[in-house]
Amino acid sequence: MLESILKLILQILITLLIAPFFTGVIRKMKARVQHRVGASVIQPYYDLIKLFKKDLVVSETASWIYNLAPYVYFISSVAAISCLPIVHGLTGFSFYTDLLIIVYLFVAGRIFMALAGLDTGSTFGGMGSSRELLVSALVEPALFIVIITVSARAEVASTNVPAIYEFLAGNTETAFTPMNILLSASMLMILIAESSRIPVDDPSTHLELTMVHEAMVLEYSGRHLAFIEMGSYIKQLVFMTFMANILIPVGFNVGNTFLEFGIYLVKVLVITILVGVVELNTVKFRLYSIPNFAVIALVISILGFLTGFILK
Amino acid sequence: MVSEAIFETINRLLNTLVADSKLLNENEIYTEVSPENIKAACLNIYTNIDCVLIDLFGNDISPADKLQVYYTFAVRSSNTLITLYTNIEKADIMQLESISNEIPSAAFYEREIQDMYGLQFNAIPDSRELVHHGNFPLKVHPLRKDFKADTRLDFVKREQEFISVQGKGVFEVPVGPVHAGIIEPGHFRFSVAGEPIINLEAKLYYVHRGLEKLSENENYMKVLLFAERISGDETFTNSLAYCQAIEKLSGITYLPERALYSRVVFAELERICAHLGDISGLCVDTAYIFPAGQFAMLRRWILILCEQLTGSRFLRNSNKPGGLRRDFIRSNEKIIHECMDKLEKEFAETVTIIKNNGMFIDRVEHTGILTNEMAVDLNVVGPGGRASGIKTDVRKEFPYAAYQKLKFNIPEHSNCDVNCRMNVKIEEVQESISLIRQALEKMPEEGTVSVEIGELKPHAFAFGMTEAPRGENVHFVMTGENNTILRYKVRTPSFCNWPALCHAVKTNTLTDFPLINKSFNLSYAGNDL
Repeated sequence: MLESILKLILQILITLLIAPFFTGVIRKMKARVQHRVGASVIQPYYDLIKLFKKDLVVSETASWIYNLAPYVYFISSVAAISCLPIVHGLTGFSFYTDLLIIVYLFVAGRIFMALAGLDTGSTFGGMGSSRELLVSALVEPALFIVIITVSARAEVASTNVPAIYEFLAGNTETAFTPMNILLSASMLMILIAESSRIPVDDPSTHLELTMVHEAMVLEYSGRHLAFIEMGSYIKQLVFMTFMANILIPVGFNVGNTFLEFGIYLVKVLVITILVGVVELNTVKFRLYSIPNFAVIALVISILGFLTGFILK
Repeated sequence: MVSEAIFETINRLLNTLVADSKLLNENEIYTEVSPENIKAACLNIYTNIDCVLIDLFGNDISPADKLQVYYTFAVRSSNTLITLYTNIEKADIMQLESISNEIPSAAFYEREIQDMYGLQFNAIPDSRELVHHGNFPLKVHPLRKDFKADTRLDFVKREQEFISVQGKGVFEVPVGPVHAGIIEPGHFRFSVAGEPIINLEAKLYYVHRGLEKLSENENYMKVLLFAERISGDETFTNSLAYCQAIEKLSGITYLPERALYSRVVFAELERICAHLGDISGLCVDTAYIFPAGQFAMLRRWILILCEQLTGSRFLRNSNKPGGLRRDFIRSNEKIIHECMDKLEKEFAETVTIIKNNGMFIDRVEHTGILTNEMAVDLNVVGPGGRASGIKTDVRKEFPYAAYQKLKFNIPEHSNCDVNCRMNVKIEEVQESISLIRQALEKMPEEGTVSVEIGELKPHAFAFGMTEAPRGENVHFVMTGENNTILRYKVRTPSFCNWPALCHAVKTNTLTDFPLINKSFNLSYAGNDL
């Protein structure tokens, strides 16, 4: 029991520590492509520290939901990441580790953020909330198909994470099956949509009218904003971890936890760079093209399901 | 002479309505008409001569106790400006018939005059305030002579009126006046049904500095400084329009060739700079990172070149009535040529990249359509008009500087969308590069770059027109005694094009607004004056 708790705490601390780094890497890539030196890859950490030091500015019309939402968002993200051990060696805590819970944890956080967006009475907040819910509702089916497919293997037949990890530990070669490749592709699209990256959303824009996620959190400042940012970094890491560990379990079970961690970091970094490359080569969609994007992700995940189970 | 033929035609057309008529500065016709007949006269000219309304402004000619209203029409096909003016006795209630039902582009000018002079236009379709905003006291008319420029106004709080769209599911989205980016202030009121925009109203004039008021009774060299500060990225073209008007007033008929060609070089450098910024902005707004950085870099090259040549990145203090302040180009031809070669190559490559990106083209194509009909009615100028099938360019139609001796094409498009406006700008950059090369080629080696302009004719008036990066730019200057300026009226292209933007966004989604806005890239300061 004690060991489980220690592992859980370790997992949370490590993920909190590494999550902002990957956003820093994407930003650096974008800067380099523009011939700019760009901010250091650890700039997101400085930003978080800065935000924690700043005062809060709260709208007069805001209710308790506004004040609570950042914490709910942050905690739900942390709870989600603690469902997905980043390395095989950390599997051991099994309080609630189920893949489907991750989806619902995100929904909880998102609902609070959407309500908070509406709460301040600012025009952009409501706009952002409605767009954010649209995007998430559109990509959710694909996410479910991916989760169900990885859980439905005869050897696993469970959405329980330790069970899946146990199977993967013995079958790391599944990374190269057509099913996993298709699911990874779908997951990359889900990752892009869920973490508000180009082409679905532009995380660095200053144009309120085009924002999706940013419009929703536009009114936040100080430590509230820091918690939201941190929550977003962790959420992004959850999807990356899902991809790195479950869909591409290469080097997942080499025996040495430190080596596994190193391999995990490399995989997540590769995924980050992939997201960065997509971001550099695409243009933000028209709002009404986002459903097409979501449908493509869904179709690819269904193809993954079909190749895994029917065309075996 | 074509202008003389038109002059005679006008006298014949208006016949008995004409109180006084003269042809000045070679191509400017001034005709006085009584207030009762001014509407009929305007409509007569408008329907019988192929012309567009390019300016409409008031003038307080104290101590004569009269208010003048000028209606300026441009005959673009034959390099002639027709100005009808009328004198109205000053009274508590002054009225004039509105012409904006027949000539829609007059609407904004009439509203401006209502605010600035307190002159009422009867039957004006939209009589709301244009310049004044909610904190401005009522019945204060700043351009009247009895209003002192340093008056401290009372702070009042009034509700602004906006057209509101009724119906289930229709919401109003107020944006601004303070925006997230480092841009100028302007309030936008959207009526939306979900994402699609039903109506947009722009409330501008938050950066009204009273430039026209400040210019009153100032020495013409001081007013030049105001002209340069109308709009930061159109410094040269504004100062050029002003200088041309002053040159006409001082009676100069000949400027050194070197000055004329130098002016072309600088005006085109400014155009390239503005267009590169716009294209870069379109890429930023669609989150297309690489070309955004690329075009911004090219723009910076031009800024650096301008700084090397004149010491000012935005070409301030380079122009003066009578020529240029110094021979900036002498012994610098090589660096200009080098910069142009480098720019041309890099620009062509980047343009190929963006034109081959389907996702980017999908964003800009069919977005923000401004129909030709609408553009004609509102007298949309510059790249915005050219993309909607209005083939007009001051450089061709009212040639100034050395443009007559240079070869260039005006891009012609008629798809009316953001993509089209972008293509017009891309082609104009290429044309500008060629113009700069031609100008450097033809520029004579010897000779000065300026002439002394001497005393200005008192109580004379003239127009100066240039093609700014955003389009047709019209400056009217009227002199007083001792080289002072009595009335300086500036009509920038932004003033013409702002109403067009509000029409172009209709039925587009809210997320596309920044893109459409960027494709016009209008100046707030240039509009608000």
